[in-house]
Order: sequence, then C-alpha cells, then structure tokens
Amino acid sequence: MDIKILQGIISLIIILILAPLFAGLVNKQKAILTGRVGAPILQPYYELIKLIKKETINASSSSFISRVSPIINLTSLIIAAAILPVGFWKPLISFNGDIILFAYILGLARFFQILAAMDIGSSFEGMGASREATFALFAEPIFFFTIGSISFLSGYTSIYDIYHSIQLTNISYEVFIVICSISVFMLAVTECSRMPIDDPNTHLELTMIHEVMILDNSGIDLFLYQYSSYIKLFIYAILEISFFYPFSQQSYILGIIIFITGSLALSFTLGVVETITSRYKMKNIPQYLLFATAIGILNLLIYTFTK
Amino acid sequence: MNHLNDYSNILFIVAFVIQFLSIVFLFIKNERKALFSSNIVLLIGLIIGFISTLSTALFSSSEVLTKNIFNNWLSLDALSIYFLFIIQLIAIPTTIYNFSYLQHYIEKKRPVKSFIIFYVILLISTQFIVIANQSILFLVSWEVMSIAGYLAMILEKEKEEVQRGSFYYFAASHVLIFFLYIMFFLLHHQTKSWYFSDYNLSFSTGIIAPLIFILSFIGFGIKAGFMPFHFWLPQAHPIAPTVLSAFLSGVIIKMGIYGILRTFLFIKPLPEWCGWLVLILSMVSAIFGVWYALAQHDIKRLLAYHSIENVGIIGIGIGIGLIGSTNNLPAIEVLGFGGALLHTLNHAIFKSLLFIGSGVVYQNLGTRNIELMGGLVHRAKYIALLFLIGSVAISGIPPFNGFISEFIIYMSFFKSANELKNYYPILMLMFVVGLAFVGGLAVACFTKVNSIMFLGSERKEVKHFHTSIFDYISLGIFALLCAVIGFYPQPFIGIVNKVVQSKFVYKTSSALISINWLYITFIFGTIAFLIFILYLIKLKLEQKFGIRISAAWGCGYEFITPRMQYTASSFADELNTIAKPILVYHKEVKVSNNAFPLKSKFESHSKDFVDIKFILPSFNILKNLIKKIEFFSQTDLRYYIAYLLIIITIFSLIAFLWT
Repeated sequence: MDIKILQGIISLIIILILAPLFAGLVNKQKAILTGRVGAPILQPYYELIKLIKKETINASSSSFISRVSPIINLTSLIIAAAILPVGFWKPLISFNGDIILFAYILGLARFFQILAAMDIGSSFEGMGASREATFALFAEPIFFFTIGSISFLSGYTSIYDIYHSIQLTNISYEVFIVICSISVFMLAVTECSRMPIDDPNTHLELTMIHEVMILDNSGIDLFLYQYSSYIKLFIYAILEISFFYPFSQQSYILGIIIFITGSLALSFTLGVVETITSRYKMKNIPQYLLFATAIGILNLLIYTFTK
Repeated sequence: MNHLNDYSNILFIVAFVIQFLSIVFLFIKNERKALFSSNIVLLIGLIIGFISTLSTALFSSSEVLTKNIFNNWLSLDALSIYFLFIIQLIAIPTTIYNFSYLQHYIEKKRPVKSFIIFYVILLISTQFIVIANQSILFLVSWEVMSIAGYLAMILEKEKEEVQRGSFYYFAASHVLIFFLYIMFFLLHHQTKSWYFSDYNLSFSTGIIAPLIFILSFIGFGIKAGFMPFHFWLPQAHPIAPTVLSAFLSGVIIKMGIYGILRTFLFIKPLPEWCGWLVLILSMVSAIFGVWYALAQHDIKRLLAYHSIENVGIIGIGIGIGLIGSTNNLPAIEVLGFGGALLHTLNHAIFKSLLFIGSGVVYQNLGTRNIELMGGLVHRAKYIALLFLIGSVAISGIPPFNGFISEFIIYMSFFKSANELKNYYPILMLMFVVGLAFVGGLAVACFTKVNSIMFLGSERKEVKHFHTSIFDYISLGIFALLCAVIGFYPQPFIGIVNKVVQSKFVYKTSSALISINWLYITFIFGTIAFLIFILYLIKLKLEQKFGIRISAAWGCGYEFITPRMQYTASSFADELNTIAKPILVYHKEVKVSNNAFPLKSKFESHSKDFVDIKFILPSFNILKNLIKKIEFFSQTDLRYYIAYLLIIITIFSLIAFLWT
C-alpha cells in the first residue's frame, strides 16, 4: 500500500478516536475555570458506550427519515474528517476542489438532521430545525470567505495543497492567520452549537438549537448523533489548526507538534470563552454571524493590499 | 459515416412524423382509449427521436457534428443536439406521467383531447426551435411554442386564477417576441442572410454586437426567467396542469438559455461588461429566487421561484464563460459554459421530478397549499423518497447531480481568480460566497418543503392516497437520472465538454475533463457503502438492545394535535423577516386579549416585488392613457372602417413620399 494512503487512514482514525477526547478536554477545563471538579476527561467515551447499550425509541409519528438520518450524519462527518490533514500528512481524500466537497458534505448532514427533526412532528423539534436552517445559512458565507481567500492566496483548491504551498515569506499570511482564526472560531462555535450561540447544557427546550433537534432520539440513534457532533467540533478545531501548518516547514514532527499544541490551545480557548460568555438572545445571533462575515471581508482587504 | 448520417436523418424525420401522428388517434371516440393510444404513439415518436439524437451525439466526432437537413433550413450542431437531448429526455417521463394525470381530468370532464393536441404541438415546436437554422423558422416555432403552451395551460379556463396566470404568460411571451424581432432584424441587416450558419459577427467593432446581446438577453431572458423579467413565472406555473408545469419549468424556460447561448455564438467575443451584467443579474436571480421560494405556501409557485434560482445559477456559469471568452482563456470558458450546460440538464431533471411529485400530491389532496399537507410519508413512502431525492439534488448536495454542476461552477470561480489575477479574486470571492449563500437558502427551503409536505402528522385528514404505476415510472426515471449523473458524471461531462469544445472555444482546454471525476465517483460510492454498512450495524445493535415506538416528548402535555406542528410559515419566518422589504412579506397576528382566549388568527404572505412595484403600476398607467383616448372607441363598425382608411392613406402617403 502506498505510504500516503496509509498516512491518510491513520489520520482519519486519529480524528475519529480523539474527537470525544477533545470535547472532554473542553468540558474539563470549563469545569475547572468555573470552580468545579468536573467530569473526567474521558467522560464522553463513557457516555457513548452507555448510549449504545440503551434501548432505541422512535417517536410514533416518525418515518424512515429518522431512522436513516443519524447514519447519514455520521457518514458525512467521517467523509469530511477524511478531507482534513492531521499534522503534515496527506489526508485520505484530497483532490482539486475538496474544500467545496467539505462544505457541501456538511450540508448533507445538516439537511438530514433538519428533516429528522421535523419528522417527529413536535413543535420543539420544529423550532430547533428552523433555527438550525437560519443560522447555518449565515454560517456558510463565513466558511467560504475564509477558506476561499486562503485558497485564492495560494492558488489551490485542495486543503492539503493550500497548506503545502504557502510560503511564509509572504508577511500577509501572518495577518491572515489571525483574522481567519477568529472567523473560523466563530464559525465553529455556531456550527457545533457551543456557548455564545447555543448552550449544550441548558435544560429548557425553548432555548436550544442543536439539542432540541435530537430531543426524541435515544439509544443507538442518539449515539450516532452525539458521536457526529463530537467529530464535528474536532473537525472545526482541525480546520483552525491547519492555518498553522505552514509554520512546520514541511517537517512531519513539527506538524504533529503543531497539531497537539493547537488542539490543547483551542480546547483551552473554547473553555475560557464558554466560561466568560453567556448565551446570546436568539434574535441577536444573525448579528453575531454577520460580524463574523464582516471579519471575513477584512480578509479580502488584506488580500487586496498585499497584492 | 455518410451512410450512417443518412440513416439517422431518416430516423429523425420519422420521429417527428410519428409524434405528429399521435394527434390522429384522438379521433377515437372513447376518451380513455384515445388518450392512451395517442400517448403511446407520442411516446414511441419521442423514443425514436431520442435514439436518433443519441446516435448522432455518440457516433460523430466533435469536428463533423454539424449537419444540415432540408436545404439548410434545419441543422444539427453540438449545441442543438445537446438541447434536443434534454427536451426528449424530459419529455419521455413527462408523457408517461400523462397516463395517470389525465385520468383525473377525464373524470372531471375537461377538454383533455384539446390539451393533448396542444401538448403534442408544444413538444414538436420546442424540438424545432433547437434545430432551426433559419431566423423565420426559428421565430415561427418560437411563437407556436408560446401559443401552444398558452392553449394547453387554460385547461381549467373558468377558474379566475387560471385566467390571470395564463394572461401573464401570454403577455410576457408577446413582449419578448418583439425583442427577438428587433434582434433578428439587426442580425439580418448586418449579414444580409436569414440563415444562422451565416451569422458571424465575430470581432465586429462598435455597439452592434453588445446591442444584439442585450436584446437577446432581455428577449430570451424573459422566457428563461432572469430576475427583473421573472414576474410571469410564479403566476403561470401554479395554474398550469402539472404535466405542463413540469415541461415549462424543465424545458421551455431552457429555450431561453438556448437562445442566449445561440446568440452568443453569432457575436462572440463580447466586451467584458456583458459578462459582468449577466453575472450580476444571475446572482440576483439566484439569491432572491430562492428567497422568494422560501416565503411561498403554494407548492407549485414555490417550485416556480426555484426555477428562477436555478436559471440564475445557469446564468452565473454563462457569465463566467463570457468573461473567459473576452479574455481568451479557454479554461475558464470551458468551466463556465460547461457548468451552465450541465446545470441546464440537471435542473430539467430534478425540477420535472419535483413538479410531477407535487402533481401526485395535488391529485390526491386537491390543494397546492403546503400548510394543509403533512404526514404523507405514511401514506406513500416511495413518493416521499423520490421527492426527497429531487430535493437533495436541487439543493446541490452530494451525492446527486445538482452538486456536480454547482461544483463545476465553483471551480470556474477559482479558476478565473487564479488566471485573471488583478482585482478578479476579490470579485470572484464575492460570487463564491453568494453561491454558498444560495446553497444555504436552498437547503432551508427544501427541508421546509419536504418536512411540511411529507413528514410529521397529517394536518388535514387524507381519506385515501392513490398512486398509479405511471407515477412511479416517471418519477423513478427522473430520480435514477439524478443518481446516475451524481454518482457517475463522467459520460455527461464528456458530452458537455464536447459541446463546449466544438462550439465555444478557440483553443481546446482540458479544464473540465481534468477534474478528477473518478475520484468523486469513488467518494460518493464510499458514502453509499458507509451508509449501508452503518445501517446494518445499527439494525444489529437495535436487535440486541431493543427498539420500541413511543409517543413524542410533549413536555408533559397530553393533547397534542397536528395543528400544533411547526408550519411552513413558522419554519421560514425568521429568514423571511430579514428580507421583508424585498419579499413584500406581510404578517398579521390577531390575538384576542380575553381572559378566556377565543379564536386567534395568523396569516403571512409574500408578493412579488417586481410585479406589484413595476408591472402592475405600469399597466395602470397604460390603462389611464387608454382611457384618455376612449372616445375613439365606438359601437358602430363604420367608424372603424373609417379609421382603417385614414391610417392606410397616411401610410401610403409616407411610403410614396419616402421613395
């Protein structure tokens, strides 16, 4: 087997295995920062294993959509994970235009998640689905502004090629990283339903987005949804970390070090942000997202001035 | 080779004759038998035509694709064959759907036979448009198509909405033909010929080429439904019989695209601002087309607005292609035009699927209002599944065909940013983001449609849901095409590439075929495989740990009714409110403030901005003007004869003095 493919498979497995750990890390740090002991770092794994062993309950008004949606969700997340590089290794899926596939494969997951939520026919899920559709719409431009401008800067349309080709002699790249990191961070917070947008720990259905959509799922379905949401968070973290790969100067070891320190730093940042912010009012969320988009436009200006 | 050409020529003519002969079978007395036999004959004609088109497309190499029939009046070149392919491909399943759809109208004692006549004429004239090589023939076919479409549309002519909607269609068709007259007059004036093959204004200087292009963009753009000219589409599509709306949206509006591309071939290359104009108008159409769609409750009107969105996406591809051709960069041109052409095919497929799917629902429920639907998945699982495939495809989501064409258009943006440098990347990035935004809106819109129509529980009780085998065949063919182009795009990319290489570019470029399509096939295959494997695992685990069905969580409330579900308006409310002024979105809430709440009322609707701000006011102005000269209108016939005489005298005097 080609060594590149082997590396790709290894990095995919790393992502799939470490994803719950990342969420656990964030939760632990958040607990410490708020003065609690908190659950063990491995808690997400325990919960996932517990979920598998539970009975699955389907709502009486649900159809085949609710049954296949969790699977489609996980599948698309796995494919999306296979596009992202870990360290400096070539990802399993890498071709010209894979950034578009990345955005749209997450769209597939979202499409079916919204449908599955509406499938229950309860207004709680409807509320979550409507919110998800609305906020996702504003999140999409952020992704394309940041990744698109980096792609134009490098002249490539594959994530691996983009980071492989960027030369640090171009000073503008450092400024780029700062801005892109901020906007991708805001994007990640939105897409993964983290704190300023959505509170995963809330106990009122009316205020939730992502959690309310999976309100009626249990057992293996809930396992699939939860696991996909862990992967999603980790994917966005990796997307953010990959901005720093050009610093590794094409060395594998440096790449891995960047990956590890980046993950730790990001989980810390998420913990801090979740500690010091409170959830926004629903009607303010579009403004928050437009702010992130505006930062994306800032990218454009930098791009113009450095050309 | 020559022999083969003759052979397929004959086949070609035979196909038309058979299609036309299907009208004869309508003389059979028994209405059901008449319809059945004429539809069968029409279908045979279409299939023969499709086979001859395919054989011409496959057996001729790209250089000698042009061939002329009937003394140059008809001609088949790559572009014609491609559109002929689309027309026949869509017409076959649509005609199959006729079998089940028209039964419904026979029961209602409608003039179904006349509908079939106009439908056949519509099909034939549409095919003639794309193979016409002569301006007059083209214009005549165009008019026949428009009028046949109008006459087929008024099947239920005593309904007021039908009169209104069909009049919009009729008026729009007549306005646009004037632009086409002027355009062909200009072309004739420049080249002194009536034949398309002689029209060649390449590199002509001055205003004439852009002028012709603008005229064609307005004229054909009205048919295609680009944004400021789209106003007739949402009025005409809902009231047309479903077979016709599927064909209108799938094929007839694509004739506008064909016209624009054909005109471009006469006058290429154009100055760059033409490309930007097309790009910007298309982007506006794409964004607001889908946004309007989100605000609709009428399923067919919603789909009509979606056609505007998709025409916008096609237009974006054309715009990029135009920019590429101005800058003489074949790679951009190939990607732009290639994306546009493939999306034309794709949109024809999934839009017909969705229209026919909505037709099946309409037949059973008797309403187009999606707020009264719901829970249909429990009645007709496979209709829901097929409709879902169409929805995923139209939202541009992998692994279906919509993704492939949108992917090409995305690539064209990236390519032009790379090759044109300068300030282009910034502009292109704006378009990339715009297209992503359109994708997001389409997801919101189609999750809404699917979930409100098919999922949840029934808002209005459905007594019985009847589906026929023909529904499944025609929907199945479309769904299969969606999947085939999605999973294995290579042959279709090959066809599109052939068209673009032979007609549009000066220098060949491998930009389209060099995209790693096999890789995409592989990834989509993996997706399907993974879904299958995970499903098996899930079944196994469910078996082991148990599965049961229980009521949904209602926060402790026991008396949940279907009316408590999220509705289409509540689902889309947040997004509609953002674009309130443009969507002309009205919301009215009446809540009684009694201690014991009485009946409350909520309603929301959206009107077309262009329609109520420009079209209707301008007609009012016209009406007032006409009122001022009302005294000319008399009841006596002799007055009119006098008017005629006066006018003839004036004209002959002018003519006399002129020479």
